[in-house]
Amino acid sequence: MWKVTWRRFRRSKLAVAALIYVAAVTLLAASAPLLAGRGRLVPFGPNDVDITTRLRPPDPLHRLGTDDLGRDVLARMIHGGRVSLTVGFLATGISLIIGSLLGALAGYYRGAADWIVSRTIEVVLCFPFLFLVLGIVALFGPSLYTIMIALGLTSWTSEARFVRGEFLRIRELDFAYAARASGARDARIILRHLLPNALAPVLVSASFGVASAILTESALSFLGFGVPLPTPTWGSLLLAAQQNIEYAWWLALFPGVAIFLTVSAFNIIGDRFRDAIDPRAE
Amino acid sequence: MLTYVVRRLLYAVLTFFGISVVVFALVHSVPGDPTYFFIGHTTVPPSVIAAIRHQHHLDEPLLSQYRWWLGDLLTLDLGTSITERRPVLEMIAEKLPHTFQLNLIAFLLAAAIGVPIGLWSAARSGRLSERAAAVGFFLLYSLPSFWVALLLMQAFSVRLGWLPLFGMTSDHYLELSTAERFADRVRHLILPVITLTYAQLAIFARFSKSAVTDVIRQDYITTARAKGVAPGAVLWRHAFRNALIPLITLLGLTIPYLISGSVIVEQIFQWDGIGHLYFTSILRRDYPTVLGLTVATAVLTLLASLAADLMYAAADPRIRFDGRNR
Repeated sequence: MWKVTWRRFRRSKLAVAALIYVAAVTLLAASAPLLAGRGRLVPFGPNDVDITTRLRPPDPLHRLGTDDLGRDVLARMIHGGRVSLTVGFLATGISLIIGSLLGALAGYYRGAADWIVSRTIEVVLCFPFLFLVLGIVALFGPSLYTIMIALGLTSWTSEARFVRGEFLRIRELDFAYAARASGARDARIILRHLLPNALAPVLVSASFGVASAILTESALSFLGFGVPLPTPTWGSLLLAAQQNIEYAWWLALFPGVAIFLTVSAFNIIGDRFRDAIDPRAE
Repeated sequence: MLTYVVRRLLYAVLTFFGISVVVFALVHSVPGDPTYFFIGHTTVPPSVIAAIRHQHHLDEPLLSQYRWWLGDLLTLDLGTSITERRPVLEMIAEKLPHTFQLNLIAFLLAAAIGVPIGLWSAARSGRLSERAAAVGFFLLYSLPSFWVALLLMQAFSVRLGWLPLFGMTSDHYLELSTAERFADRVRHLILPVITLTYAQLAIFARFSKSAVTDVIRQDYITTARAKGVAPGAVLWRHAFRNALIPLITLLGLTIPYLISGSVIVEQIFQWDGIGHLYFTSILRRDYPTVLGLTVATAVLTLLASLAADLMYAAADPRIRFDGRNR
């Protein structure tokens, strides 16, 4: 099944480009300390302040210009990508765990379990997403962990719905009955037999989830409620851009492009992957 | 129909309790003494703290605290702002029209442009122009709104100087005549409305496209085609009309999305609505206002989705007679 899916996914050049882009950005972010720092390819650390070079437009030395404290924008962007991607992946990981668990319980046991999970989802969906995230971050104090947990705790509903839907369907299939008939315990049936078969739609929503988590983290940082300064993130770079909106276009352009491309890439991967696993699509 | 309405209302009541429990749990899971929610981080004598604890029932068991909290909510008492010393509900009622004005314009604009595009896409499904448009909308949807706002401000306010940078009115607003005031407000609305509209446009287009595509697959469309109805007439007269019904659900779905988006847009453009109020309350550590607004927006969403569901049931008999509600 995975082979067929991959072949159908590969047909979209856009999706393959997005996948390559994501791999490249992840690699770039993972090796940030090796790339940007004294004596490296980008010869500046993300927090090297130099007030003699404040707000310089891009030139051969500072390829993407400098900010209001003379810090190199390219170096800050490479390091900022680390934070954005970490938050994106880990927050989605948390929501995947919560969502799959609750969705699996609801879809497998149905009845009361399903009722409780469904009502809980309805309650969570009532809260405007950003209000809840901002509220949690404000109450518990902004840090990398609070943001990831806040995002994870508020965005598991779509995963739960997908898993629930899949479980309702596959629990009636022959292999599920066979597993039950052979005397396997519920936990084993859920984790070993059903969950792997419900994985594909979950990965679709995970891809959209990463996109939305990166977007929200950037928004929080932009609003000043992200990872505390001076740690750079793409969003906080844009905050610096807003404060210098009158003269420094490069501060607004490059971090925005980075957010946009990364979010688009994850959205495109999710979208094409959904088409690839959809039997209705031709 | 009546059974459906009653069941839907009961669920709404249940969801309301859920909302109250979530916010209550949120407050009480914060490390430290909730008393500081009401006094801020200032030093006060212990006797005052004791009085505040008693006044807000913080000296009672958790369950009884929840009863007080629920009772307050049911009597529409959202507490008192610790920075402005007036009821939170009053402040919300004051700012809500501003948010409403901004969002209603954006919503109508997005529907007016997005739905026809969605219908067009469904009719042209699979052609190159449609596929290109779909990718374009997808990219539009991925554009971070705060970045777009920033670029718009830089282009139209800073470089060209055509539109005001932020705010709801100009400084000399009070000296203007009625017509001039209207023009002034419109000039202030343009950039925030564009920022709010473009992403919703993509949602509307996508949603209406899939709605039409779903309808086209149904038997009665095949029947109409088989009878020899012209392809254009099948699409316009038979398919689109039924495809518009699911758009009602968008009404309920976009409300929380709009309110979320308004935090960013109102903050960037200094638009004096509830998103802006929420953000400044967080900055000032005015927790009663933060919590009041959280509950108020959640209840607003609840009411919107309730209204959307009931309208949907009125428009589509299949919902009413189906045993399950989804």
